[in-house]
Amino acid sequence: MSIGADAFGFVRDHVRAESAIVLETGKEYLVESRLLPLARQTGHDSVDTFVAELRRTRNPALMRQVVEALTTNETSFFRDSDPFVALRQDVLPTLAKERPGRSLRVWAAACSSGQEPYSIAMTTRDTPEVAGWKIDIVATDLSEEVLAKARKGEYSQLEVNRGLPVTTLVKHFQRSGINWRINPDLAAMVQFRQLNLMRPFGPVGRFDVVFLRNVLIYFDLATKRDILRRVRQVMAPDGYLFLGAAEMTMGVDDAWERVPAGRSSVYRIREDQRSCVR
Amino acid sequence: MTITTGPDTDLVQAALEQVWESMLYAVAEPVPSTAGALANGLEATITVSGAWNGELRLFCDAGAASQMAATMLGAPADEEMPELDVHDAVGEILNVVGGSVKGALEGESRLGLPQVRPATSLPDPADCVAVSWRGAPVYVQIVSLPA
Amino acid sequence: MRALIVDDSRAMRRIVGRILTERGFETAEAADGQEAIAVLESMDDLPAVACIDWNMPVMDGLELVTAIRARPEWRDITLMMVTTESEQDRIVRALAAGAHEYLIKPFTPDALVEKLDLLGLVPTPGGVA
Ligand SMILES: C[S@@+](CC[C@H](N)C(=O)[O-])C[C@H]1O[C@@H](n2cnc3c(N)ncnc32)[C@H](O)[C@@H]1O
Repeated sequence: MSIGADAFGFVRDHVRAESAIVLETGKEYLVESRLLPLARQTGHDSVDTFVAELRRTRNPALMRQVVEALTTNETSFFRDSDPFVALRQDVLPTLAKERPGRSLRVWAAACSSGQEPYSIAMTTRDTPEVAGWKIDIVATDLSEEVLAKARKGEYSQLEVNRGLPVTTLVKHFQRSGINWRINPDLAAMVQFRQLNLMRPFGPVGRFDVVFLRNVLIYFDLATKRDILRRVRQVMAPDGYLFLGAAEMTMGVDDAWERVPAGRSSVYRIREDQRSCVR
Repeated sequence: MTITTGPDTDLVQAALEQVWESMLYAVAEPVPSTAGALANGLEATITVSGAWNGELRLFCDAGAASQMAATMLGAPADEEMPELDVHDAVGEILNVVGGSVKGALEGESRLGLPQVRPATSLPDPADCVAVSWRGAPVYVQIVSLPA
Repeated sequence: MRALIVDDSRAMRRIVGRILTERGFETAEAADGQEAIAVLESMDDLPAVACIDWNMPVMDGLELVTAIRARPEWRDITLMMVTTESEQDRIVRALAAGAHEYLIKPFTPDALVEKLDLLGLVPTPGGVA
């Protein structure tokens, strides 16, 4: 029961066009296992017949669900830990000196089920330099499904076990039945909305810090370059960009420079490129 | 006096899903629960006492239990597992399910230690959750007991 | 680096043991609190970390944490509860008794490794305990 080359090709092209996620040959098994539940829901017993019908009808709702089923949502609280240490020890204290208005705006682009923006919120609470500041976190993702979960702010035992020191868990979460729910004061800092990074960002405002982690890896070079260029346009000239551990700007968009921060690094718009975004 | 309501089937199902995912690397698909005989089965029991008094009882086929134990312990699925390991593994599965369920209840309750023994019949399907493990049904019955 | 695993379930001891061994720990086991104390007393090289279940016969995990914390010669052992007890007040009680971390069962192998990393317990390959 392996997906046919034809069906795989159609799914790959559609997903590529809609999300720029590249599904190389070899990912047939992944496609098959992710699409099987969707195929079953629509009365098919194989992914092949499901895709055949999709090619005929082009049902927009289903076409969209196919993309959602294939975008990996893997995430965890304080993922890789170092970026959050850098945020608390370097980035926030530096920005605190530069913002007399005592307010900051943070963007978690591709926030998945919310662990990343809530980790940012918890980090700001642990940073004395910004105590009492107005901090707005805008968290966006392509998938409505993960956003619904993120808005609910409820996580399973398996999810809270990952990456969260237990003192942080008992401080910032409450039991809610079998799950744990983020406390309302943190939830109030984060605003979730749907946004496709491939499309124009729209009126998002200007950000002091942008987390764009573990999503560029799915895109081809031209798309990465275009996204990084547009991120520059919505960043404060002295702002900070965080990428995933496997991602970098070098050779993609050289208007950025990499600066060490703690045990990891962050990206800033190069001095000579800052004037054009002012 | 407040009367604490016991666990419902949704809660037990949710607990089973997390245990299946993390300890058995499987999806706990709900299956219809049917009454009847277990030719060669196991029953694990764990008590909860305090705000709610009762037991959770897990029933499954001994062959399925052996495969669950093998999966948990990282042994090949068809490896014949010693009875001691099988009983212990099934008891631990119920212990973890019981702990998750107990933690979700209102008020203070205590969890007992799991007991495992052979079983030959299935419980009343009415108060049971049934999920599949590699096609074989695993039942968890919720039993309220007088304090 | 050594680790002591205290759990009345042999299956759970093996699951935790396998994850720790893969991570480079040398492991020792005990099936209840009293046995754990006996194992610790017999060791020349104390473990860097003890993973402790809560509900066990003879002596439970909370009593064990309290007993270990009462012995100054064992103060360098990092104590991590690994238990299905998951109410907020239980967690707080274990921390107050002297546990440093707390992993709720069920957990994925990643979660255990990440907790050890958070505690700075990373064995150096080929290094001494
Ligand atoms: C692997 S997760 C990363 C989550 C989080 N940033 C982290 O590092 O843990 C990738 C996320 O990117 C989202 N995504 C994929 N393509 C996207 C697009 N074109 N626009 C916005 N989000 C996208 C997916 O829905 C998924 O939630």
